[in-house]
Amino acid sequence: METMQPALKRGRDVWDRINMPKAEFLERVAKIQEQMERQGMEALLLYANNGNEYADPCYISNYIMKTPQGAIVAITREGEVALICEGFARDLPGVKAITWVEDVRSCEDVSRHAIAFLSEKGLIPSTIGLVGLEQSMPHEQFRFFLESTGSCTLIRADRMIRDMRIIKSQREVDQVRRSARIVAQAFKRLCQTTSSQFNEKSIEAVMGREAYLEGAEDARILIARYDGNDNRALRPCEELPISAHERVSLFLAVEFERYWAQGIKTLVLEKDAFVEPDGAFFRSLLNRIIEGLVTGKEISRFCSEASAQARAIDIHILPEYGLGQGIGLSLQEAPFLDEREAGRFQESMCLAIQLAARNKEAGSAVMGETVYLSRNGPEVLTGI
Amino acid sequence: MSYEDRKLQKALELISQKGLDGLIIYSRGTCFVLKPFYFYYFTGFRPMGPNNAIVISKSGDVFLLIEPSWDAGRASQKSWIRDVRGTSDFLGDLMATLKKLNMTGTVGVAGAGEMPYTLYEGIRREMVIQKADHIIEEIAREKTEEELDVIGKTARIADIGFQAFLKHARVGIREYELLAEIESAMRLAGADDIFNLMGSGNHNYAMHAPTDRRLVPGDIVIGEITPACEGQFVQLCRTVFLGNPGSVLKEKYDLLVRALNASVKQVKAGSPAALISRAMNGVISEAGYGKYCYPPYMRARGHGFGVGSIAPGAVIDDDTATVLRQHQVVIAHPNQYFPETGYLACGETILVTEKGMVRLSKSETKLYSREV
Repeated sequence: METMQPALKRGRDVWDRINMPKAEFLERVAKIQEQMERQGMEALLLYANNGNEYADPCYISNYIMKTPQGAIVAITREGEVALICEGFARDLPGVKAITWVEDVRSCEDVSRHAIAFLSEKGLIPSTIGLVGLEQSMPHEQFRFFLESTGSCTLIRADRMIRDMRIIKSQREVDQVRRSARIVAQAFKRLCQTTSSQFNEKSIEAVMGREAYLEGAEDARILIARYDGNDNRALRPCEELPISAHERVSLFLAVEFERYWAQGIKTLVLEKDAFVEPDGAFFRSLLNRIIEGLVTGKEISRFCSEASAQARAIDIHILPEYGLGQGIGLSLQEAPFLDEREAGRFQESMCLAIQLAARNKEAGSAVMGETVYLSRNGPEVLTGI
Repeated sequence: MSYEDRKLQKALELISQKGLDGLIIYSRGTCFVLKPFYFYYFTGFRPMGPNNAIVISKSGDVFLLIEPSWDAGRASQKSWIRDVRGTSDFLGDLMATLKKLNMTGTVGVAGAGEMPYTLYEGIRREMVIQKADHIIEEIAREKTEEELDVIGKTARIADIGFQAFLKHARVGIREYELLAEIESAMRLAGADDIFNLMGSGNHNYAMHAPTDRRLVPGDIVIGEITPACEGQFVQLCRTVFLGNPGSVLKEKYDLLVRALNASVKQVKAGSPAALISRAMNGVISEAGYGKYCYPPYMRARGHGFGVGSIAPGAVIDDDTATVLRQHQVVIAHPNQYFPETGYLACGETILVTEKGMVRLSKSETKLYSREV
């Protein structure tokens, strides 16, 4: 789900070496080196420049940018790793505290510094794999990069990293599980909170406070209202009061130590507290959709089965948000659950499953859970 | 003429003056405290998705293209622009819109610096692009009464954030828990974004995102408390000591307050922004800390705030020649490293007027302490 990007990631910022030890990153580097060898790459550059797209360089380094500033992780075939990040030199000690990479460099322009790194390593000319540069790097920086690497062979290597990230290690699953626990806790806290004057901002304050107190690095909240307003889409919270007996859908995504989980729940304000409406009608459909997550099943088939299940009980699935996608270092990552998707479900995927639906009698609802596809089948991690 | 009509009218005048076929105002949906947010300024709508554009033709047609497509309804409600379309093929729909509006020669692009290569090249293949950030900067440089109302509200929220800082900065609380409490208080008060940084310890070197560290007696807790409403940021830089501060700490903080007071006296429409920095550095240098007023210890002595323009800019230092204008908003912060005390936070956001400066927040700038 697309959410509003904050001006700063301002939650708990640590590298927990037990949850995600250096060995985990070294394993990833070793796998990448094998792939580089196979594909004839002498260097690989992974780029990102904002708080929604930090995943690829973070996958190797554990570094995230907290504001919209560029960063590149550079890996040579020999296994040397450097982290080049835009920012001030005085921020370097803070960066070094959250990454195992020893060669950390701060700069004003990550493109120029990447070229300096490649030159220093004697890698111009060479064959260089690129992840994220063409899609996300500001055009002037990328043009400079292209001009400076005219003698090199450039290979798009996004697919290589995507295929690695799509299957989560046990440690990654545990991180998503921790994030999911915070999501569930924040919903629980909201339902325990009483107020005679709930408004959208107070919901955000209650849920955000709980998430950040539980150690969230980032928390994103969206709301949908069903009060006769034409626009029922999820959107950021505003200073608008909630009326008694009003139904709202709340989306909460939490990032804990780099990994995301999300949950969506529809609640009703009764007297002075939010309670769960009788949502069995929609909930049972969501449960059946989740049960359909089976290792080896084609994703397109899963999507068409979900639509058929809904039609059979006269529920119309609203197409806006889709049925979900992978979740992990990104809030939205492969696989994307779409009837056009060619892949199959695999063990150790983490998925954000969501259902926006309407029924003539029961009205509209949005709900969703974060699910781990384990050896024993789908396991709901959020359980909201 | 409404606020929005005035903006559009000025934009059309500048499009005509520059001989452009029209203007694209682009956003990647990111917001940074040290950069203007042209798209948000012009539409009054803050986008979520990775690609968004306002298209303005020289004849006055205005079109809004929004990603993700399901956010177009919110855009229609929040923006004054009536012609809004959600898209899942941004480049394709943008090019179709440009052609429909006969923008096929030279177009200005505000926010081009954010554009990724594929998108920029996609446009450049079909037409000539001129960077046009200056068009929005020129319109937005002086804040309007409507913007000043929002800034006043944001300043009140900053005070609420500081009260939460003071209330919750106590022995045993972790840094991230402290920021969670400040954030919650400011959200409840209406903040729609927040840029808070902090540090704690008996000798700090910088402010940073919060860690697991628990506060202990004798800690100097420093914070940048920065709420935003409708894209307008207001900042307070504050220091709280846990315990009874010693004479050295008091003396150094008093020095910073004197530096702040000397600097804000220089703030007046028509004065160069550098005077803010020079006055600050003068007071601190006279006390024998001149070396610590410059890199690598210190970077900027302040910067502007705003949605459409952060003039006088992202850095106010001794060399900032930009002249301050009426109704600009700047933070003056003699945040300073001292070898005896470490890094201390001290600063506030001020409004530039023709008569001088106006402090926007109510909370006093001084060294605060909590009994332990």
